[in-house]
Amino acid sequence: MTFEVPKVSYTGKIREIPLGREGNTVIVGGESCYPFHLFEGEMPHPPKIAMEVYDSEPEDWPDTALEPFADVIKDTAAWARKCVDTYGAEMIALQLASTDPNDKDISADEAAKITKEVSDAVDVPMIVLGCGNVEKDTDVLKAVCEVCEGRDLIIGPVVEGNYRAIGATAIGYKHTVVASTPIDINLAKQLNILLGNLNVPDEKIIIDPSTGALGYGLEYCYSVMERIRMAALIQEDERLQFPIISNLAREVWKTKEVKVPESEAPLLGDMKKRGILIEALTAQCVLLAGADILVMRHPEAISLVKESIKDLMT
Amino acid sequence: MSKIICSAAIRGAHKIVGMAEEKYGEALKKWGPDQKIGFPNTTYYLPIIYGMLGIPVETLGDVRQILDKCKELVPPPVSDKVWLPYLAPALEAGMATYFAEEIIEAILYLEQPDFYTKAEDPLPDNIWLGAADDVIMRKRGVEFVDGTAPGFAAILGAAPSIEIAAKIAIELQEKNLYVFMCADHEGKTMSEQLIEAGVQVGWPTRLVSFGPSYRAAVFAIGFATRVAMSFGGIKPGDFKGNLHYNKDRVFAFAMPLGTVTDEWYANAAGGINWGFPTIADTPIPEILPTGICTYEHVVSNVPHDKIVARAVEVRGLKVSISKVDIPMSYGPAFEGERIRKDDLYFECGGGRTLGVELTVSKDMSEVEDGKVEMIGPDLDQVKEGDKLPFAMLIEVAGRKMQSDFEPILERQIHHLVNYVQGIMHIGQRNIMWIRVGKAVVEKGFLLKHLGTVMHAKYHQDFGGIVDKVQVKIYTDEEKVKEVLEQAKRVYKERDARVEGMTDETEETYYSCTLCQSFAPSHVCIITPERVGMCGAYNWLDCKASFEINPTGPNQPIIKGECTEPVLGRWKGITDFVNKASRQKVEQISAYSLMDFPMTACGCFECVATILPMCNGIMVVNRDSSGMTPCGMKFTTLAGMVGGGNQTPGFLGVSKHYICSRKFLLAEGGLKRVVWLPKMLKEEIAERMKPICEEMGIPDFSDMIADETIGTTEEEILPFLEEKGHPALTMDPLM
Repeated sequence: MTFEVPKVSYTGKIREIPLGREGNTVIVGGESCYPFHLFEGEMPHPPKIAMEVYDSEPEDWPDTALEPFADVIKDTAAWARKCVDTYGAEMIALQLASTDPNDKDISADEAAKITKEVSDAVDVPMIVLGCGNVEKDTDVLKAVCEVCEGRDLIIGPVVEGNYRAIGATAIGYKHTVVASTPIDINLAKQLNILLGNLNVPDEKIIIDPSTGALGYGLEYCYSVMERIRMAALIQEDERLQFPIISNLAREVWKTKEVKVPESEAPLLGDMKKRGILIEALTAQCVLLAGADILVMRHPEAISLVKESIKDLMT
Repeated sequence: MSKIICSAAIRGAHKIVGMAEEKYGEALKKWGPDQKIGFPNTTYYLPIIYGMLGIPVETLGDVRQILDKCKELVPPPVSDKVWLPYLAPALEAGMATYFAEEIIEAILYLEQPDFYTKAEDPLPDNIWLGAADDVIMRKRGVEFVDGTAPGFAAILGAAPSIEIAAKIAIELQEKNLYVFMCADHEGKTMSEQLIEAGVQVGWPTRLVSFGPSYRAAVFAIGFATRVAMSFGGIKPGDFKGNLHYNKDRVFAFAMPLGTVTDEWYANAAGGINWGFPTIADTPIPEILPTGICTYEHVVSNVPHDKIVARAVEVRGLKVSISKVDIPMSYGPAFEGERIRKDDLYFECGGGRTLGVELTVSKDMSEVEDGKVEMIGPDLDQVKEGDKLPFAMLIEVAGRKMQSDFEPILERQIHHLVNYVQGIMHIGQRNIMWIRVGKAVVEKGFLLKHLGTVMHAKYHQDFGGIVDKVQVKIYTDEEKVKEVLEQAKRVYKERDARVEGMTDETEETYYSCTLCQSFAPSHVCIITPERVGMCGAYNWLDCKASFEINPTGPNQPIIKGECTEPVLGRWKGITDFVNKASRQKVEQISAYSLMDFPMTACGCFECVATILPMCNGIMVVNRDSSGMTPCGMKFTTLAGMVGGGNQTPGFLGVSKHYICSRKFLLAEGGLKRVVWLPKMLKEEIAERMKPICEEMGIPDFSDMIADETIGTTEEEILPFLEEKGHPALTMDPLM
């Protein structure tokens, strides 16, 4: 008797979602099996990595993260160009962190202006993420949608508190939304239902079930992501059959472990290597849980993960 | 009834289509068929025609086929001899009217390019804005979709005075509605009246002066049609999708002020296609039955001071209140506040004075939304340390309101009043007790504000079932007594209703998957006689919860054929549980501890388990911390039961369920219970009595052992034998 690998039989499939403007699209999703279970089904589009850029010079980054971008850090558009030209970014994620009312509180129009500049500077699909303040994001993302009409941006986070305003604007200007929920499968599903009720087309929704960094609750986020994938693929849960985005870099690079220099914590080892590995490992985990788009920062972490994706896909 | 309206609408349509034909003829002669026509800066051509027929009208030549279509649509004038089919032909006449009016207006743009300002605001010498371009439509249309502006009022004609005009406009603005104005009544227009009254008109103030003619109504309808195409993903030509989108999502209505001419009727009939009803101030005939519109189609002779409220009601628009407007802070943070003697200014109820609170539902016409009345002295008329009798009577009305929801709404009073900073609320019904702190009075808070709180919060939290709320607060003793009597009657009826509800009488049960976030395969099935194991959700709560949030965790399940009456299994329930648990749970028995018991999340009030030696069942509640005869404390037992696992012999239950006639029916019901913690036994004693009597063992409660008898099976068995506990002689449990 020969040994047979037990196989999961899948009944569902993740939606295929094209991102970016015509001629320069990237397709995500389409899986008909668990992540990298290529012996059971298909993963027509390997997960993509979006390199993040910020709308103003970051103040709290460790030097190890700043170093690769030192020459462009003051100019968001140049930064984005460098990500594409030098590091081969497949997508760009613009973080509008300065819009935060508790931070620089830059206006919606200013944020829209920066977004437009970046969007004109690069051709790859572009994700635009607000600061996470429900009201401010509404103003900012509405303005962004307007000035970037025709660019087919991916905008977010769209949450229960502002899905109507942002969702409606996104429909009007034909952008894709990131439906963001706090680590809970029911809330994730609920928001997708609400967006559907609002008439946001299904091929314009990406979901973000939230993530933490390695050592900061990642296992819980992992479980929720995994559960979402299970519901989508074997439990015919239509409202969860969407590609997943994981906005992980900002979580990783704010932790103590990437910021403490070796001189203060010799046991933690080389600071640069440490940061890169924590980012890469966090990414690796969410990849295995089902993420389709990873928002990442350090070029070396990115190349590690790319290599791993390549290995897993063959 | 509607024959007059339909005849007039059809007459009007004939006139308007005739006029379009005439204008088209003249224009064709002057400019030829290749002349471009259209509204300014839009990619939707003539939007109603484009949206309904999918035909882009770009040149004068394109107009011909539309006019032919109009002629096809307009029915022959209604003869006196025909009595029957009115609405359908009138709707077609209305549709043709809009097509014809768009053509006339497009030709007007050609003939007099400066007739309309083509801007967001009126100009000093021209107040008529004309069709909104796509920039305005996108910017403003978003508000229709995201709810910041629920819809619009299309006003035709003019109010009897500029004061009334201004008042109606302000009231509509307060409801966040756009006001689209067109047509004149005896030479006067609402737009001019508003300007005369000093009201700022234009898109930014949502008071839009479209045009002086009734034909400018097409700018309003065209706007709505474009919103559906732009934001609803509706394709041009998908008239059905477009009309449905507008009916379901754009809360618009027509409000003709003044004599309703044939042409106005034709436009109003057109609006009904979009689900937009007409609310008139003149005594025209009414069309009350529902059908195309959500509720009534034409409501007439409405006084000017009531017309906005009536329109909002007829269109089914929900009131949204963002802030509780009282002089104190408000929120859950203040729920647990205590008002102690030293801080006390005033109190009522709580055995100190008469006190009662009651929520009842009434007919829509009997409730005036937002009305709060104070009958008797308020806080500004009492001294420190005073006590007064108190009654709060909340009357609600709603198209979806049911009297079954009254107790659910009433139960909210406790925490909603407690949310006020400096106010303490305890109890409910006629055992309620309110204490008011000194600081509250200093800040100018009045008892009347409690009405404001209830009005705002009922709308905010229960908007799905409540459309109108009015509150009466009494501190006058005689009045309080009256309310108390009324309340006692209502309570009695309610209790009888809940008592009379059995699992057999209802065909629909409810699911609760609220806890799936931490117990992913758990599904609660809630029946009239089996309250959710958390004790927080009974069948009526689930029913209301579903009305309020149709996509939420409480879904109705048609129970279907009963396959096992004693175990409590139904086909519909089995299918649902299997699917909702993602095939983790094959089936459940609603009434059994041993045979496919219901799974549990982690929030159960009590755990039931078997005591094999006693051939009985014990139940222990969460608050009880001691050892139990099964050898495990509650906390250990909870670990056995929770997490969505099916563990025969262990079950999460609510306190309420213990005294249900369906309690573990498969194992013999309450009769099987041999041990309860003393505190739990005392808590449910009252409700247990009638069940014991039905069982024919009135003193059954004394047969149940508790921790004072023993906390091991060996200790309690002699007691059970001595009392002759029925469980000892029942069929073996396993």
